[in-house]
Amino acid sequence: MKHGTLRTILALLAALALTGLAACGGDDDDGGSTQAADSQPGKGKPAVTLGTKNFNEQFVLGQLYKQALEAKGFKVALKQNIGSTEIADKALRSGQIDLYPEYIGIFNTAVAGDTKAYPDLDGAYAAGKTYAEQHGFTLLELTPFTDVDALAVLPEYAREHSLRSLADLAQIRGLRLGGPPEFRQRETGLVGLDRVYGISDVDFSPLTIGLQYQALDDGKIDTADVFTTDGQLQGGRYVVLDDPKNVFGFQNVTPIVSTRVLEAEGPAFEETLNAVSRVLTTEAMQRMNAAVAIDKQSPADVAQQFLEANELT
Amino acid sequence: MTELAPALAAAAPVIPDFGRGSSCVRENGTFCWDWVGDHWGDTLRPALVQHVALTAIAVAIGFAIAFALALLAHRRGRLTTPVVLATGLLYTIPSLALFQLLVPFTGLSRTTAEIALVSYTLLILFRNTLAGLAGVPEEVRDAARGMGLTRRQLLWSVELPLALPAIVAGLRIATVTVISLATVAVFVVDQGLGAPIYAGLQQTFKTELIAAGALCVALALAADALLVLAQHALTPWTRVARSR
Amino acid sequence: MNDFLDAFRFIGEHTALLWQLTLDHLALSGAAVGIALALAIPLGVTLGHMHRGSTVAINVSNVGRALPSLALISIGVAVLGIGFANVMVALVVLAFPIVLTNAYVAVDGVDPDAVEAARGMGMRAREVLWQVELPLALPLIFAGIRTAVVYVIATATLASVAGAHSLGDVIVDQATYRLPGVLGAAICVAVLALLAELLFAALQRAVTPRALRLEERGAAPLLGDLTTSERTAST
Repeated sequence: MKHGTLRTILALLAALALTGLAACGGDDDDGGSTQAADSQPGKGKPAVTLGTKNFNEQFVLGQLYKQALEAKGFKVALKQNIGSTEIADKALRSGQIDLYPEYIGIFNTAVAGDTKAYPDLDGAYAAGKTYAEQHGFTLLELTPFTDVDALAVLPEYAREHSLRSLADLAQIRGLRLGGPPEFRQRETGLVGLDRVYGISDVDFSPLTIGLQYQALDDGKIDTADVFTTDGQLQGGRYVVLDDPKNVFGFQNVTPIVSTRVLEAEGPAFEETLNAVSRVLTTEAMQRMNAAVAIDKQSPADVAQQFLEANELT
Repeated sequence: MTELAPALAAAAPVIPDFGRGSSCVRENGTFCWDWVGDHWGDTLRPALVQHVALTAIAVAIGFAIAFALALLAHRRGRLTTPVVLATGLLYTIPSLALFQLLVPFTGLSRTTAEIALVSYTLLILFRNTLAGLAGVPEEVRDAARGMGLTRRQLLWSVELPLALPAIVAGLRIATVTVISLATVAVFVVDQGLGAPIYAGLQQTFKTELIAAGALCVALALAADALLVLAQHALTPWTRVARSR
Repeated sequence: MNDFLDAFRFIGEHTALLWQLTLDHLALSGAAVGIALALAIPLGVTLGHMHRGSTVAINVSNVGRALPSLALISIGVAVLGIGFANVMVALVVLAFPIVLTNAYVAVDGVDPDAVEAARGMGMRAREVLWQVELPLALPLIFAGIRTAVVYVIATATLASVAGAHSLGDVIVDQATYRLPGVLGAAICVAVLALLAELLFAALQRAVTPRALRLEERGAAPLLGDLTTSERTAST
């Protein structure tokens, strides 16, 4: 074999490696484009990295915030699906990301380590803000929607037992309840339900998240642990029981931003994010979650359509 | 719910009609072509491109390292056992574990994924390159030396060409292995075909699972076939003699 | 480094859980390997003995080796659903080609002179197989078993995403077990795989007659599929 052929192979390998490395360049950015809008307050500001946790609603939120910011000229790199709360928090503290959307209740318990049960949203938010500021972060405005646990039943079952709120479940003997395994030990779970509402006669079935609606439909369980913004709840197919004593707490979303980055980006940055947060009602989130989870639309498309309809883009 | 109430009550957004997915998708039919068509551009193709990139970088870097080590071990035989042990150790650690063990050091980044993937290529590429070089008949070497070739010329003009089948065989195995393991990289960084696979698993969305899974299998088979062709093209003399 | 200390602490505090998951992991792996062996060894040995079907046996291996494990599990989930049985089927599909090809190449490649000599001594085909070919083929067959075992143990880690239990349960569930847990389980999995490799390497050496011990010069085979990959890769 000629010398030349071997050289050619090595050259090809080198070219391959180079192409690969060149591909390295656009790591996380999925090529968001800035539109020609009247005001571009974001032009010239440093790029920010927005992270999201590992489930659909987070993907939608990430796209909503990202696209809204980009419409105003900001440069946003999206690190989608980074992992659980713990990982997102670590990423934020280590500077790998500059902001991510967090749930206020989870922020207090999992990040701030504060297990106090707040009787109202203001209190929870204030406590969260204090902790965040002490550690160099800022909590932006809360969304109207709250994505908390809830118990859902089929409409016929609710009619049969006259169920409106969780308190009404206490009378049912041998209630078959399905939820994720950790629901059993949680204060925002069976423990709290027993303590606050007196629901103790429970036959618990551990289920993977996502399978609870199937189990309800099939009649395998009477009630399931669901999230209040689940797409499946949209349209009234299931009855969500009220939680007047607030066992499940508050889980409105607030973008947590590094204070230093917030200051560097200017006031328009914060205002853009808040403008998006203000229109995120429970119904809006349910519909968007449904589009992603049930109709299998992409979070980017869903976010774009929503922002356009509300003139935020 | 006091001071926030007025602001919260004011929000009444326009919620557009997002359109419904086809009945196939909504009922989670076994395979919905319409979903594949709709999402080729935003989900499947980017994942495929990322997967090819992850693989190409890992194999290229792995080959560079293994090749260098093999040349060294070819000169100094004592290096062989420690290198084989070290690379063998890396190879045996299950991929999911190795990815997670690297995270505290290199974070949730492509770097972590690439380091892990590169380590899976080292043993195969090192071993095959070395075995290829070692397999050159001594008479051929003697003849070459007799003709006055220097050590470098011997290596590049004689030994390496003859070792090519074994080297390419190693590249073939390494490439296919990396294509398979790159799917696990999704636990570290949201890239590659592992992303739609894992997303599909979380929702048991059959179409996404089959589409992404089949793409991955097709990619591996295609890469394997391409490398076989490359090997045949580069070593015409092996086609002549076929025993058994 | 701190994370690793926490990981070991996790292992210490959750020994019962990790032990249970290890047993689940081994059960899944063992079942898959067992079935793969039961199917592949008789087939491979028979084909090798008859010197038939080399193209099939070797190409099955090539295709099988190319099958990405997570992709296969995901297609299996789509078609068969989640659960132990379904994941096990995927693992069998992954292990089968390795064992088959090694068994085939092992018996097919037995020194023809030895076989001739045995026939010359009057042995019938069956006796040749059991008394000459199999003993000589055993080391390479074991190499295939060893590769398959380690491969299945490694892949069983992924079973957690498909509804079966294994040490992977902890690794993929960062939300519940947090970083120390994930690292702790990852360490356990790595150790498990290494122990399996060492055990089967020892077994392989044990069944190799001294005279046949592969030469340690140059590329010392640490993994069983060296010979297989070299021989089969050129087809």
